[in-house]
Amino acid sequence: MSKDLSLLQPELVMMVIVALMILAEMARRPLVVLWLGLSGLAVATGLSLPLLGADASVFGGTYRIDLLSTWAKLILLPGTALSLVLARAELAGKMREGSVYSLLVLVTLGALMLAGAGDMMLLVLGVVLTGLGSFALVAWPGDDRATEAAMKYLVFGAVTGAVMTYGLTFWFGGAGTTLFSALTKLQGGVVMVAGLVAVIVGLGYKAALVPFHFWAPDAYDGAPVSVAAYLSVITKIAALFALAQVLRDLSPQTGWPLVIALVAALTMTYGYLAALVQTNMVRLMAYSSVAQSGYFLLGIVAVGVNALSLQSLIVFGAAYVAMNLGVFAVVMVQGRQLDEFRGMGRSAPAMGVAMVILLLSLAGIPPLFGFVGKALLFAAAIDAGFTWLAVIAILNSVLSLAVYLRIMVPMYQPPAEGEAAVSGRPLSGLVIALTTAITLLSGVAVQLLLNAM
Amino acid sequence: MSPLALVLLPTLLAALLIAVLRRPPEILALVGVSISVPASGMLLTMAFAGKGYTLMMPGLPGMPLLLVSDPLSAVLSVLVATVATLVMVHATGYMRKDGEKRRFFATMLMFVTAMQLLVLAGDWLTFLGAWELIGVSSYLLIGFWNRKPGVAGAATRAFLYTRSADLGLYLGVFVLIGAAGTSNIAATLTTFGTPALIGGLLLLLAAMGKSAQVPMQDWLQRAMAGPTPVSALLHSATLVAAGAILLIRVAPMLPAQTLVAVGIVGGVTTVVAGLVALAERDLKRLLAASTSAQYGLMLLAIGAGAPVVALLHLIAHAAIKSGLFLGAGVFQHSRGSTGFEDLAGAGREHPRIFAGFAISALALAGIPPLAGFFSKDAIIAATLAAPGGIWMAVLALAGTVLTGAYMARALALLWRGAPQKGESGDELQWMGLGMGVLVALAAGLGAAFPRMEWLLGDAPPVSVLAMFLGLGASLLGLALGWLVPGARLLGPLLPWARRGFAVGGGMDGMVLRPALAMAQACNAVERRIYDAVLAVGRHAMRLGRGTRATDEAGIDGFIFGLASATEAAGRRARRLQSGLIHRELALTIAATGIIAAALLVAPLIY
Repeated sequence: MSKDLSLLQPELVMMVIVALMILAEMARRPLVVLWLGLSGLAVATGLSLPLLGADASVFGGTYRIDLLSTWAKLILLPGTALSLVLARAELAGKMREGSVYSLLVLVTLGALMLAGAGDMMLLVLGVVLTGLGSFALVAWPGDDRATEAAMKYLVFGAVTGAVMTYGLTFWFGGAGTTLFSALTKLQGGVVMVAGLVAVIVGLGYKAALVPFHFWAPDAYDGAPVSVAAYLSVITKIAALFALAQVLRDLSPQTGWPLVIALVAALTMTYGYLAALVQTNMVRLMAYSSVAQSGYFLLGIVAVGVNALSLQSLIVFGAAYVAMNLGVFAVVMVQGRQLDEFRGMGRSAPAMGVAMVILLLSLAGIPPLFGFVGKALLFAAAIDAGFTWLAVIAILNSVLSLAVYLRIMVPMYQPPAEGEAAVSGRPLSGLVIALTTAITLLSGVAVQLLLNAM
Repeated sequence: MSPLALVLLPTLLAALLIAVLRRPPEILALVGVSISVPASGMLLTMAFAGKGYTLMMPGLPGMPLLLVSDPLSAVLSVLVATVATLVMVHATGYMRKDGEKRRFFATMLMFVTAMQLLVLAGDWLTFLGAWELIGVSSYLLIGFWNRKPGVAGAATRAFLYTRSADLGLYLGVFVLIGAAGTSNIAATLTTFGTPALIGGLLLLLAAMGKSAQVPMQDWLQRAMAGPTPVSALLHSATLVAAGAILLIRVAPMLPAQTLVAVGIVGGVTTVVAGLVALAERDLKRLLAASTSAQYGLMLLAIGAGAPVVALLHLIAHAAIKSGLFLGAGVFQHSRGSTGFEDLAGAGREHPRIFAGFAISALALAGIPPLAGFFSKDAIIAATLAAPGGIWMAVLALAGTVLTGAYMARALALLWRGAPQKGESGDELQWMGLGMGVLVALAAGLGAAFPRMEWLLGDAPPVSVLAMFLGLGASLLGLALGWLVPGARLLGPLLPWARRGFAVGGGMDGMVLRPALAMAQACNAVERRIYDAVLAVGRHAMRLGRGTRATDEAGIDGFIFGLASATEAAGRRARRLQSGLIHRELALTIAATGIIAAALLVAPLIY
């Protein structure tokens, strides 16, 4: 038991910190909340480093401390810290800003649970914990748009959550235990299918896979930009890692890889096609992140078949956090409408260059970080026998370039008359600089990352 | 610190410091390039001692980034560092009154760093990266005076011409990596058979673009729009050299058929570009055409199976041509133009500069004991020694005659005419200093050639016949050029040469128009695809509506009940502005059903 607890140090630190943050928020000390959160995340990240290379599980196999969950900590915790900085840049001085910080950290705790889930109950718990915090985060501005978005998010979450819990009871009934590792006992059949559908629906909703993505554009658009950035990254990656945790124990003979591959193809294509017609940057990025989650599925399809799949998920996960947070940070500074980006490359040259780098990386242009992640994902899928899926993904990368060029090209055209220059904000500038540096340099140094695994 | 890093970092740091400190750019630039000279010199010394360096950095999985110092790269690195330093000294004077010299020196340093990176690259990925950096910085330098009319267009043209040929490099490198399974340049050179043939031809295409070979020779002359020190650097040891360096690097791998192609391209270029140079009415454009011609000679040597000879000529030409350009820069400074009409007699105003210019010109023509004599001699000997290479020897001799003719023509036009009294400031001293050292190199480098041949482990064939033929051709050319006006020499060819022998409409006709036509065709295809996608979309919508209709018809009471209950709950909780959520939920539920069905069917497929 004490060994279990020592393996859980990062989570325990997070729990204590969330409690302290809520207390500080009750005392209306937003800066204290912020610093508590940042230092807690830093400590938890530091405590996760010794876990690299560990392959264990705690509490009778219900919670896994393995490659995927440890790297989830190393990716999601710094990602949350960046989101906190973004939130501070956007919401400083507003009423109850501290509640946003504490909710962000709370949701991340749920995300960690998802990424390490080895048990159905923990999976449900993770979905609920991330869900409840996210609804409140989306509703935070309190205006009509935010409330409606949160409502939609909640209704969707309630329905898919119910479907998931209901389906998981079939697995429990069939296997006699809630552990995923016991699922090998099930030999296909209706019971197997019911549980699989449940997991795909529940986690597909959380990761915004097509056709469970409908809430995403509205929720992102209604929420503060920093919250949208957070939701598009942290909960999404947690859900996708959880999907990998569930599916790695199942035999491919059940046919799940084919279904996941179909969902992947649909998600990528639909996401980019929808993004192509948006004029609102937040909605555009929402659809773009829908499409990007389709790329993650390329790695999940190969899970259990080759070791490359987990590596590719982790590398692309890290790349995706950096790229997406960076782009959202630029959106936060520059404005929510696509028109507001016209001429930005001239009025704010440094930010323009950063944005171009981030977008090119999202499109998967070598030698940036996003390219390396996608190349590994393609390799994993091809190795698992899904060459057709890799071809669709590559074709979609072409489509994605069109999507991102729609942002980049106007940036270097003359601005419309009477545009006021946007005032720079040092905090968001910091996030943009950091994420751009990671995107630029890690593409070259990805070997170091792979060697660490 | 590895000496390899010591070669690259000073110039890079100097460029960054200029960007940050904003002054004094010329001192920072001079310090940066002059540190890289002893650093690369150390590489060469160690190469003589039989020691090489390798610096490995993490790159793509299985493809680390490599910097390698072997005899070939050490020689080239010293060359680049030396020429860059001397050009930078000259530029200190040339750019003295320019308001934007900060940008100039920073870009020049970036350019030099990229060239060193290319020379030292040990793997194809680094090579590609350096190649692209060279392209970008040369674009920035050619377009440096971007406020002058036509300059931005010339820079864009140069960039696009070389870019379209770069496609060959990308494809060629992919072929080589695919065949050898590694990105290490040395390891890919063992490629043989069809991959070597195809890869070699693709790399030849890239080299033709960068080294301005026929039919892609046109951009180089237009690139004269940049400041003269830029031309001096681009034409000698850097941009244009990249193409020849690429071919020298891969020469051991090239099969006989590819070598013939290289030889044909080089031979044709040396004659065609030589004729163009005879017809030029502008000093810098004449020198540019001569660059194409000399690189043609180098390709001819590679085609004859003597890459070391090509390298020697590259080195000699680098010293000679940068000296010539720096001289042209001085004349341009005093007359404000590079047209021969404006330059008539300019040689008499600056007799010492003219003397240096003349020595370089004679060196290029191949008069002993100047550097060009030895390298040109070796090229002719190599073509004579190559099996079935008699046609190559004829082309090389024709190129030599033409070289003598156009250099003598330039000297004659500069010398004949009345001098004008112009003021000369102290910037002339800086310009003269840089040029003086280069002229000395152009004169004396030939003495170092045997050492280099020994280092590179290849002794070129020696032939007395070649020496006499070469010297005779040079003297004939010089005499013709000095005595007979260029227009009369060309005779009926003159109008062709004036148009730069735009074969088949030149690049515009062969690349630009087909590319545009292809773009139109793609557009048409895409429009059709777009229509098809829209049709698919329409049918999908119809399908969706159909699903909804069946849902609402109550076939599935569960879905209907859930959807309508949710709708009612939503309405009660808050009047939603868009009533779409129930529709989307219905879609979600329908998709759930489809996934379940697919999962039931999927095991049958497996």
